[in-house]
Amino acid sequence: MLKLENIYSSYGPIEALKGINIEIKEKEIVCLIGGNGAGKSTTLMTISGINRPKRGRILFEGKEIHNIPPHRIVEIGISQVPEGRRILPKLTVRENLEMGAFTRGKKETEKVLPWIYEIFPVLKEREKQAGGTLSGGEQQMLAIARALMAKPKLLLLDEPSLGLAPIIAGKIFKIIREINDKGVTVLLVEQNAKAALKLSHRGYVMETGRIVMEDSAESLLNDPGVRKAYLGE
Amino acid sequence: MIKKFIRILLLSLWFGAITFPFTGIRNAILLSISIMASLILWNTLSKGIIKREGIEIVSKRIQTFSSKIPRRILALFFIFLFLILPLFMNNYFIDITNLTGIYIILALGLNVVVGLAGLLNLGFVAFYAIGAYSYAILSTQANFSFWASLPIVILLVGISGILLGFPALRLKGDYLAIVTLGFGEMTRLVLNNWDSVTKGPNGILNIAPPEVGSIVFREPIHYYYLILIFVILTTFAIKRINNSKIGRAWVAIREDEVAAEAMGIDTVRMKLLSFSFGAIWAGLGGVLFAAKMRFVSPESFTFFESVIILCMVILGGLGSIAGVILGTMILVLLPEALRGFEHYRMLALGAGLILMMVFKPEGILGGPRKRAELRPDDERIYMQEIETIKK
Repeated sequence: MLKLENIYSSYGPIEALKGINIEIKEKEIVCLIGGNGAGKSTTLMTISGINRPKRGRILFEGKEIHNIPPHRIVEIGISQVPEGRRILPKLTVRENLEMGAFTRGKKETEKVLPWIYEIFPVLKEREKQAGGTLSGGEQQMLAIARALMAKPKLLLLDEPSLGLAPIIAGKIFKIIREINDKGVTVLLVEQNAKAALKLSHRGYVMETGRIVMEDSAESLLNDPGVRKAYLGE
Repeated sequence: MIKKFIRILLLSLWFGAITFPFTGIRNAILLSISIMASLILWNTLSKGIIKREGIEIVSKRIQTFSSKIPRRILALFFIFLFLILPLFMNNYFIDITNLTGIYIILALGLNVVVGLAGLLNLGFVAFYAIGAYSYAILSTQANFSFWASLPIVILLVGISGILLGFPALRLKGDYLAIVTLGFGEMTRLVLNNWDSVTKGPNGILNIAPPEVGSIVFREPIHYYYLILIFVILTTFAIKRINNSKIGRAWVAIREDEVAAEAMGIDTVRMKLLSFSFGAIWAGLGGVLFAAKMRFVSPESFTFFESVIILCMVILGGLGSIAGVILGTMILVLLPEALRGFEHYRMLALGAGLILMMVFKPEGILGGPRKRAELRPDDERIYMQEIETIKK
């Protein structure tokens, strides 16, 4: 479904990505794990078009997308949940969701909303509340829900468990599984490697801008190197 | 409480200190004391018992009463009021009202750029100048009528908005403000020095007045109705775009640009659109100004004008249409009302603005959203306020 071929990217003189190859198949959950500054978030930003790659190709459903501006990427069917949630705190939950469906028409917004509220019943309760008054977990749900409003085929999640209590993070992971069951492919970037690998089908391990390992989530969980470096054992 | 009292004390002393060189010690002390007294009175009135039990009930009653009147009837009432208003005014007041009208159009235009899209534009007067000069040149050199020039000028100004937008887009905040400031000054300098086209500092004379049928606009009252129509049109158009998809995209860009991009908003296009959409109204204001004065010169388009228009937007309440209109009225009418103070009037105006920013930074009619931004410590209270309003 999505294919990154030999992607190079840099911020000024600093090379953030040095030849990344990633492939994601339909209906999969794939996770990217690695330390700070490994280039995980940059990879997501490059896919969603906010960051332009210096070299390499990105293919989505067989078409090149690395030269397309971010707003067109959303139209094609790739939505990103940016790191740190970035909901609009002064708009209501409902307005936030409507903004998520910006690329779709008004009629489609009405059609998608019930589906969203089915996955996130909390958001229906808080529909009229300002986004900033929600708790951290609810804000993360709102951020995911907002991305889903654009009816994406592929959902990019950047650190969904960041700053959340373990129980709440668990809830978010359960929701990600649910979304995947409904047919949305997921690419997940996580610091919490253990939880991410348990959720995913396959995983990539990144270090300083390179992919150093690629395997099924299960074998990564059992790999002694990964266990030592990322699972704290 | 004590903190607030110290603040009031310091403020009044400060005002006494800056007015002392102009007015002498006796007047300065009197001024300090009167400012202190009025601030204390105002604070106790607004924060004390009276607010909780008196004013709040009254304001709620007014709110429920005004919500019962259909908005359309309210709007019609105001339009009717403004239609018959000039019959009770002399030419001097009509003239000031005309000026207010032009400034309302300008301030509403700037409100789109600064209030909605959050792009600080300090060179807004450039579009005002381009509008005024385009009409002046079309009228004197090509014999175009007011109505024929209008669409051409609006197109020109819209394009110049995009032209400023392109280089300015990659900048944010203060840097953007400096570039726009430069654009404003550049425009004025070109007007001042391009003698063959703009007649330089002498300005352009004998601009044709607008005509409808056989009526040529000469009296202030003619212009009153012309400007009134355009003010209504501007208010209506900006209200519509405020509530549209584009308006919401601007708000999203102002709040969080990365999030806006991730939501599929074409931020480049939307920013350019806000620049050029805001500029159109400045251009319209310029055409009206040139038609009313029948004379334009670079002097009318200094940086000070940009600042005054920005003050109008901020004083009334960033982002609120009614607030911007109110702010404009205050800033045009107040200097006239303060004429009795002779050369202290600009001082009094400045003092008023500073007091305003200290005690009500969100503007006179600024909504709870804006207040929450400016006073984060009180954020939660205002968030609840938003909720009650939404309900």
